[in-house]
Amino acid sequence: MSSTATAVSDPSRRKKSRPRRRELREVTLLVAIFAVVLGVGVLRPSFMSFSNIEFMVLSSVVLGLVGISQTFVIITRGIDLSVSAVLGLSAMVFGLLSTTSSMPLWQALPLCLAMGAVLGCFNGFLVAWLKIPPIIATLGTYSLYGGLTFIYSNGLQVDQVSPNFAAFGNDNLIPGLPVPTPVLALAAVAAAAWFVLNHMKFGRNILAIGNNAAAAYNAGISVRRTLLAVYTISGALAAFAGLVFVAYTGSATATTGTGDHVELQSIAIALIGGTAIAGGRGNLAGTVIGSVFLSVVITALVFLQVPAIWYSAGEGLMILAAVTLGARRSVNP
Amino acid sequence: MRYLFPSQPWDRALVAILVALFSGFCILTPGFYNGFHGTLAITEEFLPFGFVALGLSVVILTGGIDLSVGSISGLAAVIMAILIKSYGLNTWLAVLVAVGAGGGLGWLNGQIITRLRVEPLIATLSTNFIYSSIAIALAGASPPYGFGHAFGELGTGAIAGWVPVQLVIFIVLAIGFSVLITRTGYGRRLVMIGYNRDAAHYAGVSVASVERRAYCISGVMAAFAGIVLASYYDAVRADMGDILLLTSITMVVLGGISIFGGEGGILGVTLAVMILGVLRQGMLIAGFSDMVTTMLIGAILLSSIAIKNLFSSRGFDFGSIIRRLSFLRPPERMTSRS
Repeated sequence: MSSTATAVSDPSRRKKSRPRRRELREVTLLVAIFAVVLGVGVLRPSFMSFSNIEFMVLSSVVLGLVGISQTFVIITRGIDLSVSAVLGLSAMVFGLLSTTSSMPLWQALPLCLAMGAVLGCFNGFLVAWLKIPPIIATLGTYSLYGGLTFIYSNGLQVDQVSPNFAAFGNDNLIPGLPVPTPVLALAAVAAAAWFVLNHMKFGRNILAIGNNAAAAYNAGISVRRTLLAVYTISGALAAFAGLVFVAYTGSATATTGTGDHVELQSIAIALIGGTAIAGGRGNLAGTVIGSVFLSVVITALVFLQVPAIWYSAGEGLMILAAVTLGARRSVNP
Repeated sequence: MRYLFPSQPWDRALVAILVALFSGFCILTPGFYNGFHGTLAITEEFLPFGFVALGLSVVILTGGIDLSVGSISGLAAVIMAILIKSYGLNTWLAVLVAVGAGGGLGWLNGQIITRLRVEPLIATLSTNFIYSSIAIALAGASPPYGFGHAFGELGTGAIAGWVPVQLVIFIVLAIGFSVLITRTGYGRRLVMIGYNRDAAHYAGVSVASVERRAYCISGVMAAFAGIVLASYYDAVRADMGDILLLTSITMVVLGGISIFGGEGGILGVTLAVMILGVLRQGMLIAGFSDMVTTMLIGAILLSSIAIKNLFSSRGFDFGSIIRRLSFLRPPERMTSRS
């Protein structure tokens, strides 16, 4: 608690040091990305080709979306392990619907957001009303939602999606501008999230709760309703990420999301991006750049022919490094 | 006799649930009651979860959590299999080494948590993936199998023809853990840390060293569970510990140990192990799929914490809901616990 205490007692110092730290993290990440791209590019020239760079950016979109939702949750001192299960369920449901009942995209999009919001709302209810610690609550719903995916899929798997889904996942929205639609979607979501967090009362409430929930409560912030909203947003964004995933890859199985440890990856990029695990401080730009960083590193490992089994170990090490190097943790005895 | 009967209301409720569940399955599910020995042998299917739960309760009593138990058990089993198959080590020596390795991995968790000051949740989530990567890399493509008859006795053997070896070991360990927690200075310090870290620190308890040992114990028990699983299946897979985590946490929490630490005992955990084990096996025998059973266990996990929070004055955030619902008192000041 001592670091919070000093920060509160000395607001001028805090104001000065905070922006500098944040810029530093983003610059560090960008430099690291360029270093990896150049370094691997020298060894394997095809790594630097336009198509590979486009692939790396495109494949970071899904992670970036989940990372933004995870950033919001972590700011409130929570954690959402169920994002991967929600992502998998959404990919499965709408992947199957797009082919079996040929659901158009404009119907799938709001339905998917609504489904994710309901699932996330349940998480929020468990955390805010039933006082279950976020880690346990979302571990429980992880198995619940994962089970739902298995039951819904019923042994089927998505191996193709309808053309308008595929177009949404791969083509350029604006003809002539070489930016695929998912990247634009991520940019829009990230901008909206940044605006909400930094320029809206709701976002300031989220930060206040993460800094000191008791003080926020005493200051008249409805802690429970804010937490409910945060988990609802998290679920909706995870479901949207699932839709983008199935549109982009055109495939989904019952272990999509949960099998790829998306929850671990999203926590990793939020922490790498400079969000404090102890809550109260979040960096959305860092999260987005962190998702590109993770995607670049994983692609680099593929190019360097590192066996796939080591990727999750690498992600685990990255989380530990980000947490130990980045955050000034409160000193517990 | 008074000492044998559980005194806590939560434990009494668990006994009632266990009796109801067991008799319900015996009557309603054909094939569940399979003679006295056959029914006892059902315990072999779920006691590995119980071993993990015993170790995990020590960690959860301190207010921490260990998410790496699944991968530690997988990695320990892989290490044992490699020592036996590739290096021709004596089976029991290999078991000893593997359990020691589990303790080492748990100790590493403790070091990361206490020295680098990483939250237990993040630290063990990360090491979970690191350990499982190592286990998969070590195990290679073909899982080792066939460790001999004597080793198989650990998982499937029965003493005098009807008491499963696993059950005997579990009862001995449960008594041991109960004595450790209630009758030793170390155990009291564990509970004290869970109840109030700062108070324990000011009372002169070396919080970090107690915690390190707690994670070490959890690692040892997870490794032992992995070895029992290897013995039961007579084969080793790197990912065979993955199923352990959710059920074991549920067993600990359903057993009445507060997820915030500092409350609960081993008797409740033992009862919860039996309840969830009977439920799991009963549902599998009744023909439900593994996924449905896992979903149900997730639901039990959530509802048991919710019920405990509803009736506990030491709630997570705002105190007891019951008191808030009565509108007689002003809302309690929230105490945030990280």
